[in-house]
Amino acid sequence: MDISAGQLVFSYLAAASVASASLAVTRRNPVHSALWVLALFLHVAGIFLLVGAEFLAGVQVIVYAGAILVFYLFFLMLLDLPSEAAGPRFGAHWPLAAAAGLACAIVAWYARGAELAPTAARTAVEGSSSGNLSTVGMVLFTRFALPFEIASLILLAAIVGAVVLARKGEP
Amino acid sequence: MVPVDAYLALSAVLFGIGVVGFLGRRNTILMLVSVEIMLNAVNVSLAAFSQRMQDPSGQILALFVIAVAAAEVGVGLGLVIALSRNRPGTSVEHLTQLKW
Repeated sequence: MDISAGQLVFSYLAAASVASASLAVTRRNPVHSALWVLALFLHVAGIFLLVGAEFLAGVQVIVYAGAILVFYLFFLMLLDLPSEAAGPRFGAHWPLAAAAGLACAIVAWYARGAELAPTAARTAVEGSSSGNLSTVGMVLFTRFALPFEIASLILLAAIVGAVVLARKGEP
Repeated sequence: MVPVDAYLALSAVLFGIGVVGFLGRRNTILMLVSVEIMLNAVNVSLAAFSQRMQDPSGQILALFVIAVAAAEVGVGLGLVIALSRNRPGTSVEHLTQLKW
């Protein structure tokens, strides 16, 4: 059985994502955790490239690795780090948390529908690329125009909410 | 060609790791980071479905997930700032005032 380049790249990206996610939730130093999450985000962007979602990969790098992660690092360094690095990483209930994570993964795996198996009609058109910017932009501004506007409303509400929550004094 | 089941397995494993981090970690900020891991896991399966179905809707949904994640980070970290102003540290075990 020969292994194609795509399968090889996917194996690397999957192994690296799982490894960096595991390291991110188990490191003692929160800044190390955040940097492992950065590695996870970049590998997930590689997976998006592999499935032909180039625009999504770009957004993943710009928004997740650029904006969100810098925000997390900023807050980790704003709040006190030494006291966090000293105590135990996990709460006393960590076996329960591990069991819940395992159960979630198993349920997510067995809940996949049987109709997702590749059919002849689906595999026939698999070669064509649908992840380019023009296709995504066309669908985003026609079929998903209203959800797009609602997303901007959510972001506005989040901006106002963050300012109100983080403001000093009585709200 | 990588089968879609492989993407779903990766997504399930990443989601489980995120659940473990969210429920197990004591640091509030790292709990929010674990939520980001879970959102990324869902985005992986959405992108894989988009390729399988040859329909860009999955990628659009993943874009909306990213937008909501950005909003969640803003509000969540605002909450962490408000909490840390009242009591030092970011451990969830100090937040027991609502416990009956």
